[in-house]
Amino acid sequence: MSTVLEQIEQQIARLSSKAIRKNTGHIRSVADGVAKIEGLSEVMYNEMVQFPGGAIGIALNLEEDEVGCVILGDIAQLKEGDEVQTTGKLLSVPVGKALLGRAVDALGNPVDGKGPIAATETYPVEKIAPGIVVRKSVSQPLLTGIMAIDSMIPIGRGQRELIIGDRCTGKTTIAIDTIINQAKINRVGLAAGDPDFRPVYSIYVAVGQKNSNIVRTISALEAAGALEFTVIAAAPAADNPANQYLAPYSGAAMGEWFMENGMDALIVYDDLSKHAVAYRQISLILKRPSGREAYPGDVFYLHSRLLERSARLDGKGSLTALPIIETLAGDVSAYIPTNVISITDGQIFLETDLFNQGIRPAVSVGLSVSRVGSAAQIKATKQVGGKLKGELAQFRELAAFAQFGSDLDAKTKAQLDRGSRIVELFKQPAFSPVPIELQVAILFAMQKGFFDPIEVKQIVTTAHNLKEFFTARKDALLAEIRTKAVLDKDLEAKLQAACDEWKAGSAGQG
Amino acid sequence: MATGKKHIQQLSRQLFTLSLVDGAVSTDRVAGVLEYVAAHRPAQASAVLKAYRRLIAAELARGQAVVEHAGSFGDSLLARIAEAMAKRYSRPIAGVARRNDSLLAGLRVRVGDDVYEASVAAQLSSLAQAV
Repeated sequence: MSTVLEQIEQQIARLSSKAIRKNTGHIRSVADGVAKIEGLSEVMYNEMVQFPGGAIGIALNLEEDEVGCVILGDIAQLKEGDEVQTTGKLLSVPVGKALLGRAVDALGNPVDGKGPIAATETYPVEKIAPGIVVRKSVSQPLLTGIMAIDSMIPIGRGQRELIIGDRCTGKTTIAIDTIINQAKINRVGLAAGDPDFRPVYSIYVAVGQKNSNIVRTISALEAAGALEFTVIAAAPAADNPANQYLAPYSGAAMGEWFMENGMDALIVYDDLSKHAVAYRQISLILKRPSGREAYPGDVFYLHSRLLERSARLDGKGSLTALPIIETLAGDVSAYIPTNVISITDGQIFLETDLFNQGIRPAVSVGLSVSRVGSAAQIKATKQVGGKLKGELAQFRELAAFAQFGSDLDAKTKAQLDRGSRIVELFKQPAFSPVPIELQVAILFAMQKGFFDPIEVKQIVTTAHNLKEFFTARKDALLAEIRTKAVLDKDLEAKLQAACDEWKAGSAGQG
Repeated sequence: MATGKKHIQQLSRQLFTLSLVDGAVSTDRVAGVLEYVAAHRPAQASAVLKAYRRLIAAELARGQAVVEHAGSFGDSLLARIAEAMAKRYSRPIAGVARRNDSLLAGLRVRVGDDVYEASVAAQLSSLAQAV
């Protein structure tokens, strides 16, 4: 009996002493978060390499006699001559629902002090985008809760819609509002117990932002109860450029998990201008040839391969992307903005002038577009807001001429009055998205002329009153609009009656 | 600057190619190359020679199985390892034994960039990382 055990033990000993093969190299130089390594003859592009002390790097430059690696982690203890080894693995991050409500860094490590993340799966950070065959056209709406966007520039699940504008024009606010609205819709939908309801999970990727801004965003999401449906992937300005370069891809991997597992997800890249700057920094340190504005030649590919990963998959879920780009002095024709505009399926352009005039969200109707169009709108919104974009565009044109003279004909005056009312109606405070059924009710009231007798300055207050009236007293009607998603004759009659009731009530109060 | 680097790479590779006879580094050829460089002094000669040295060192390392060991190690085992490596890489490989007590026990074989680790020190290190 003991002989048998000895045999087994010998076999175990033989197995455990089996030699492990490693492909190695040595650090030739290390500076600015980049190591030049000689050796590593079998390293693959984008492969993880292991440095002494636990730091990892990614092989980005495969040259004839050396390998350029960006180092993720502490480089202070690395020195010339240190041995580096390949891992045979691509960089992967934890994915899954365990990440919801958590803030992680570019590698998926928790940074919120809430302890380890119980994720069981990992996804590679870099992945080839889904091809044509597996994709499905975008036809389901992703509601932002912002009236100007949902009615005029609708976004669909699986779409890539760029949010572009100068600094301090409310780009992040639009993204946060959208995330908050998803959480509100999720809560209502899950409470209703509808088996066909598809919740939207959100991923907010902060690249190159101040830590204080990231904390503010997390606080806003937490205050609105949206954090439990959201993953925060943060690579703040203080992080090394390698982490800032990786963070959007890590976020995309986290979003892809939801998409691949039949769920819908929304990802916000805040912002890709800083991402391009981080990549430029890495490329220059790696001594890659620089091109326009000192960006490397593959800066287009940097963003195209990221945004192409957003899709709606046949038989699976979707990943909607809201990339953010910051312009300088409203210049949308700069290098990175034009690149991302050409990649995405439309853009929401925010104007500084509008923002300063108090028109918030400062959406420029003329320059904003959604290439998916009304395919991603519920029918009720199309019915009440189909003509809004045209009317507003006409208003902007006429308003420019109206400044030169006062003798305007009645039709022009009516158009101007209506336009200025629509502009007021679309004003919306930050972090307070409006449910789609309420948007339909308000736009119905606008369409039927209920706001026409109201002073332009009073429109915001009146619209607020109307919202309160519907929320407090017409809950059943709102629920019916939400369920039917189309205004039939019966619903139109009910809406008309409700608006009449509100008008009579407000007149009585007045 | 990029042109300079390219020039160094090209020249050092040319010199390296000239140093090979039947795919192996020839001592005579290397001596000839060094004489040529000393006589003609090409631009950035020092950098060219450093790059040339790296290429030669890498090539020599490819043809050697450096066996690090702790404790006793026989010539027959060295010959067997060299033979096994030559078979694996399909090229002649010579065995070189080096004593390294920091391995505690076992072996570490290095052929070019490849390292075959079968030492106790490496196992302890991986165990420490796992814990």
